[in-house]
Amino acid sequence: MPWNNQSGGGRRGGGGGGPWGQGPSGGPHQQPDLEELLKRSQDRLKQVIPGGGGPPGLLIFFLMLAGAVVAAWFAFFFVVGADENAVVLRFGKFDRQVDSGLHFRLPPPIEEVRVAPVRTEHVTNIGFESTVAGRGVGRDLPSESLMLSGDENIVVVGFTVRWRIRNAKEYLFNIQNPKDTVKEVAESVMREVVGESDLTPLITEARGKTEVAVKRLLQDVLDYYGAGIDIQAVSIQKSEPPALVIDAFRDVQAAQADKEKYQNEASGYASKVVNEAKGDADRILLTAKGYREQAIAEATGQTARFLKVYEEYKKAPEVTRKRLYLETMERVLGGADKIILDGKAGQGVVPYLPLDQLQKRKEGGN
Amino acid sequence: MGKILAAVLVVLVGLAAVAAYLSTFIVHVNEQAVVLTFSNPERVINEPNGTDGPGLYFKVPLAQTVEFFDKRILDYDLPTLEVTGQDQKRLMIDTFARYRITNPKLYYQAVRNERGLRDRLKPMMEAAVRGVLGSAKFQEIVKEKREVLMKDIAKQVNEESKALGLEVVDVRIKRADLPEQNQKNVYDRMRADRQKQAAETRAEGTALANKIKADADRQVTIIKADAMRDGERIRGEGDAERNRIFAEAFGKDPDFFAFYRSMQAYEVGMKSSDKSVETRMLLSPDSEFFKYFNNPTGAPPGPAKK
Repeated sequence: MPWNNQSGGGRRGGGGGGPWGQGPSGGPHQQPDLEELLKRSQDRLKQVIPGGGGPPGLLIFFLMLAGAVVAAWFAFFFVVGADENAVVLRFGKFDRQVDSGLHFRLPPPIEEVRVAPVRTEHVTNIGFESTVAGRGVGRDLPSESLMLSGDENIVVVGFTVRWRIRNAKEYLFNIQNPKDTVKEVAESVMREVVGESDLTPLITEARGKTEVAVKRLLQDVLDYYGAGIDIQAVSIQKSEPPALVIDAFRDVQAAQADKEKYQNEASGYASKVVNEAKGDADRILLTAKGYREQAIAEATGQTARFLKVYEEYKKAPEVTRKRLYLETMERVLGGADKIILDGKAGQGVVPYLPLDQLQKRKEGGN
Repeated sequence: MGKILAAVLVVLVGLAAVAAYLSTFIVHVNEQAVVLTFSNPERVINEPNGTDGPGLYFKVPLAQTVEFFDKRILDYDLPTLEVTGQDQKRLMIDTFARYRITNPKLYYQAVRNERGLRDRLKPMMEAAVRGVLGSAKFQEIVKEKREVLMKDIAKQVNEESKALGLEVVDVRIKRADLPEQNQKNVYDRMRADRQKQAAETRAEGTALANKIKADADRQVTIIKADAMRDGERIRGEGDAERNRIFAEAFGKDPDFFAFYRSMQAYEVGMKSSDKSVETRMLLSPDSEFFKYFNNPTGAPPGPAKK
C-alpha cells in the first residue's frame, strides 16, 4: 500500500498498522485487531461480489454478516479495565473521559481511545533492583545508589517511590515518558537533598525528614511538568555507609557499646567497694558500741562491788579497813620474795634473812 | 448489467475513500503538525499559543505533506561529563533536560527530526554545564547552590535553543559524584573519621569509668572516716559514762575509795608479769603489816602506826 508513506513520514512512535496511524503511546489494545478485521472483510467483499450467486455465495454472505456484526461490536464498543480510566479523542481532540466499564464510541478514525491505569499504585525503585516477589530490598545498583553527602562522604541510598496518576489527560498528553521521568527526577531530587545533609543524620535519625523533603520536591517538579502524577510516598529502604567502610562504622557502634561496658564495670566496682565500706563502717560502729557497753558494764560492775564493800565498811570502818589491808598484804607479800631490813638494829644493815643465799640466787638468776 | 453497476459503485466508493484518506489528516492533542507545500512549511497546527487546535484537517493531495511533532514534554539525557570546578575539584556530572517543541516550523527547518536535535543539543548542554559548573565551587555544586546552578544551566541552554524552536523546561543534575579515583580518598577519610570517633568514644568510656571508680573510692574513704569518727565518739561516750559511774559511786567516800582502790592496785601491781621471777621486796619491819611482828603480847603498840 504505497500511500502509507505519504503522510506517515514525520510520525514517531506510531502504533503500527492502519493508514490513520495511532498516537505515540497509550493506544487502545483492540484497534489493530479491528483494522485487520475491516481490511479482511473488504477483501472478501471484493472477491465475493464479482463471483456472485449460488448457495456457496449465500453462505459466504451470512458469514460476512456475522463478521460484520463482530466487527461492529469491536468498532463501536470498548471496555475499560477496573483499574483504568480512558480518554476518548474525537478527530484527535479531547472529547470525554470515562471510568471503567463498557463504553460506546464511534469507530476510528473518528474516535480514538487512550487508556491510563489511574487506580494502580505504581512503584519505582531507585538504587536497587526489585526482587521477583516485589518484596524486600534486592540487589544494590551502585550507579544509582551511591550519593555524595554534604560533608563529602559517600552514602548508599535505596528508596522506593509510590505514585498514582492524578489526571489521566495530563498523564497521557503532557509528558513523553512519565515512568522514566518519575525515576530520573526522583533520583535527582534525592541527590539534591542528600547533598544538603551531612552523613550521620542521613544514616540515622533524619530518614523521615529526607523522605518528606524528597516527596515534596519531586511533587513540585512533576507538577511543574504538568505530569498529572501524584506522589503517594517516598520511602527510604536503606541508607547506609558504603560496604567498603561499613566495618569502621560498625566499630563506632562497638565503641559505643564498649563505652557503656566500661561504665557498667566501673559502676559495678563502685557499688561493690561502697557496699564493702558501708559494711566496714557498720562493723566499726558496732565495735565502738560494744566498747561503750562494755565500759559502762565494767564500770557498773566495779562500782557495784565497791558499793557493796562500802556498805559493809560503813558499819565497821576501822575493822574492815584493817582487815582489807591485811588481806591484801597477805596476798601481795605471800607470793613475793621478801627481804626485811630493820634500820634501827645496831649499825649497818643486819639481815634477818640470809643475804648470801640471796646473793647466790642473784648470780644464779644472772 | 446490475453486476456491472455494483462493481462500478464499489470502485467509486473505493476511490472516494482513497481521496478522503489522501486529503485529510488528524492532529491529536499531543501532536503538532506542520503542513508542507512542496516541502515548504506553510501552516502550523496545534502549536502552543497557536490558533488551530487539534482536530481534522484537509490538505491538497500530493502537493501537500504533513510533518508531525510531539507536543509533550520530551526527554534529553546528557551523557556523564567530567567537570572541573572553580576550586579545581573534579566531579562527574550527569544531567538530563526536559524540553518541548514550541516552534515546530523553526524546529523542522533547524533540526528536522529528533536525531538532528540530539546532535545540536548535546554540545549546547555540555557547554552550558561546563560553563556554569566550572565557575562554581565544589561545595556549591554538591550542597549549597545546586538548585540555582540548575536554573542557570537551563537559562543558558534556553537562550541558544530558541533558535531550534524549542524551550528547555528544566535541566536537572541527576548525579554529581566524585571520579572513581577520588572515591578511594573519600573512603579512606571516612574510615579514618570513624576510627577517630571510635577511639574517642572508648576514651570517653575509660575516662567516665575512672571517674566513677575515683568517686567510689572517695565515698569509701568518707564512709570509713565517718564511721571512725562516730566510733570514737561512741567510745568517748562509753568512757564518759564509765567515769560518771565511777565518780558517782566513789564520790560517796573518797577516803575509803582511795584506800580500797590502793589495795586493789597493790595486789595487781605488785604481781610479777613473769611468773618465773618473783617480785622481790625490801621491807621495813616497822610497817603496819609488821605491827605485831615484834610484839608477841598482842598489846596495841603505842607509837608505831603506819
